[in-house]
Amino acid sequence: MSKGTITRRELLAGGMTLGAASLLAACVGTTSGGTGGGGGGTSSGLITLQNSIQDADPKAALEALVKAYPGGDVTMNSVATEQFRAQLTNYLRSGDSPEVLSWYAGSVARSYAEEGLLLDVSSLWEGDGACAGYSDALRSLSSDASGQQIFVPTSYYWWSVFYKKSAFEKWGVEPPTSWDEFHALCENLSGQGIVPLTNGLSSTPWMASGWFDYLDLRINGAQYHRELLAGEHAFNDPEVVAVMEEYKRLIPYFDKNAASYTAQEAATPVAQDKSAMYLVGAFVSGYFPEDQRDDLDFFSVPVINDSVPTAEEAPTDGFFAAARSDNQQGALDLLSYLASAESQQQYIEQSKSSNLPTSPDVDTTSFSPLVQKGIELLNSTEEITQFFNRDSSDALQATADTALTKFLAQPDSMKSILDEWQTAAEGVFAS
Amino acid sequence: MSAQPSTATRRPSRFARVPLLVWVFLLVPLVVELFWVFWPAANSFSLALTRWDGIGLAEPVGLQNFRDLAADPIFLTALQNNVIWVLGFGGLSVVGGLALAVTLNKPGPMVSLYRSAIYLPMVVSLAVSGLFWRVMYAPDGPINGTLGLLGLGQLERQWLADPAVALWAVLIAAVWRQVGYIMVLYLAGLKGTDGSLEEAAAVDGANAWQRFWRIVMPQLRGVNMVVFAVTVIDSLRTFDIVWAMTRGGPYNETQLLSTYMFQQAFTTGNLGYASAIAVVIFALAIGFIITYLARQARTED
Repeated sequence: MSKGTITRRELLAGGMTLGAASLLAACVGTTSGGTGGGGGGTSSGLITLQNSIQDADPKAALEALVKAYPGGDVTMNSVATEQFRAQLTNYLRSGDSPEVLSWYAGSVARSYAEEGLLLDVSSLWEGDGACAGYSDALRSLSSDASGQQIFVPTSYYWWSVFYKKSAFEKWGVEPPTSWDEFHALCENLSGQGIVPLTNGLSSTPWMASGWFDYLDLRINGAQYHRELLAGEHAFNDPEVVAVMEEYKRLIPYFDKNAASYTAQEAATPVAQDKSAMYLVGAFVSGYFPEDQRDDLDFFSVPVINDSVPTAEEAPTDGFFAAARSDNQQGALDLLSYLASAESQQQYIEQSKSSNLPTSPDVDTTSFSPLVQKGIELLNSTEEITQFFNRDSSDALQATADTALTKFLAQPDSMKSILDEWQTAAEGVFAS
Repeated sequence: MSAQPSTATRRPSRFARVPLLVWVFLLVPLVVELFWVFWPAANSFSLALTRWDGIGLAEPVGLQNFRDLAADPIFLTALQNNVIWVLGFGGLSVVGGLALAVTLNKPGPMVSLYRSAIYLPMVVSLAVSGLFWRVMYAPDGPINGTLGLLGLGQLERQWLADPAVALWAVLIAAVWRQVGYIMVLYLAGLKGTDGSLEEAAAVDGANAWQRFWRIVMPQLRGVNMVVFAVTVIDSLRTFDIVWAMTRGGPYNETQLLSTYMFQQAFTTGNLGYASAIAVVIFALAIGFIITYLARQARTED
């Protein structure tokens, strides 16, 4: 869900997976989970890396990395994200599953680990393993309920309010340092005929959760936010109402076409200096023309309630290994290679993305000033969350998409929308 | 379509005359079809009675999924949208296709050019049509641009983001593609009609309207049945164009049963619930078609 703009491949994949739906039903029926084909034992030495990378540069970077792998030939299958998500369970359950798969850290990986579908990779996190030096935050993010590591994070990125330095200069404005200044800035820009905020909610309705997450983090704090997404609080509680009231104050500042744009299209008005700011993940740099990328800068959403700890969203990507593959040692070796500082450095440089390395040993001095600033932001924050869907589930994200896009279109029905959201969320937690 | 009486009596002997090889050719695809299509489809009936996330064990819940469906506001919106879709998509494409077929059935300059042009959208996949129409409907896209040029600026809107018009905007795109197909079916049907009957009616003083409804339409009964079945099935299985254009949004207002099923199955992982939706779609499709066939059989008797 991190970089989900709609692509032709995704669409076709969508169609294909729909076709595969009935097939899938047939394969599984009501059989028990334990009957994979010929798992274990015969090591063929072949390694398959199943991944959901779609953007051209990151894909080329991963291909180059995998090609240079000294430990043998790796077959790399790149599948469109949407189809990958749909098929992931099948990949992991099949008797001949791919050895290594790319996906997200956190609750999603944990739910697969609970089913016993993921290989224990804690050996990489001990002694001189490739992940041994990673931060404690990453270690706990990559651990399952019993404290074993089941995930190898290789990169992450940050969310912030992005803007163009040249445009701010042209309009004579400065990045705000307080919430009041932020509102004053939006007023000022509106007065100049510039749209203060952009967003893209059409085929990427989850973008509406960006502001929701940040406002909740700023008003109620990261701890409350995690508990809310875990179902311990209700979406119609006064705390959430306070968040929505704050969100409502921002609505006049949003581009009126936000509901028609995708996350990627929403960057266009910023590139054209028609719109000023965009709360989005660092992947947004790829949406700007190459000659504007050095012009990009960002500021963190200003503090609203100074009694809660600072927090930033930093979705973490990486790899896990299937418990049922027939080449588990090969999987661990490949993961080790992908997690090493050299591999991360090479990948980040070649993928031209604004991703941050998870390994503390990566030499970041050659990275762009934007990425340097991102590293600093995450190092200085007290709490790190991922993103709505990654901190909860894709099912809960669907309820948020409905509630928040509806709220943005009909802010006056906020109360009833929150009640509907809570009902829908209860359905998700009950299933 | 009206059966020739002479063949009916000879039918029993016909079966015996079919060579063995033909039976083999028929049976092989039948077996493949049974295994790859009917068996999985049958499985979705049993899955519909379970709660299953695709990972663990499927937990039998009886008819609970169907009870949940009855209380699910998104499902009810999707069902309502599907009714609008069957009527709107079916109605507009049949009326449009028939009108075009009748218009383009006479020889004239450029007729074949028009026919190919109208059929052309059918060549492009639905997903691609969806992307094309997304561009058309973009806030600064050609449709709003044209309205602005014509001084109809107040009609400009966010076609795919405004719940009041989004479903219709997608429907127009789907009809645009389907109408050429229906036209070709009717053109084929019109080729099979007897022109002398129409001439005779003209001589008897029937006007064009009467000739069409009283003389031509009855001869198109066979084509009508094909068109009806194709339209109902196409409209109930519509998925790709909606997914490409709105993904069921804004806030589920353009959700169809098929897109909601997909979302439940593959985004949120409720495979049992999604199977229950699939069963509803199946029941609707088969209900429509059996009703029609039964009526058709009665009128033919």
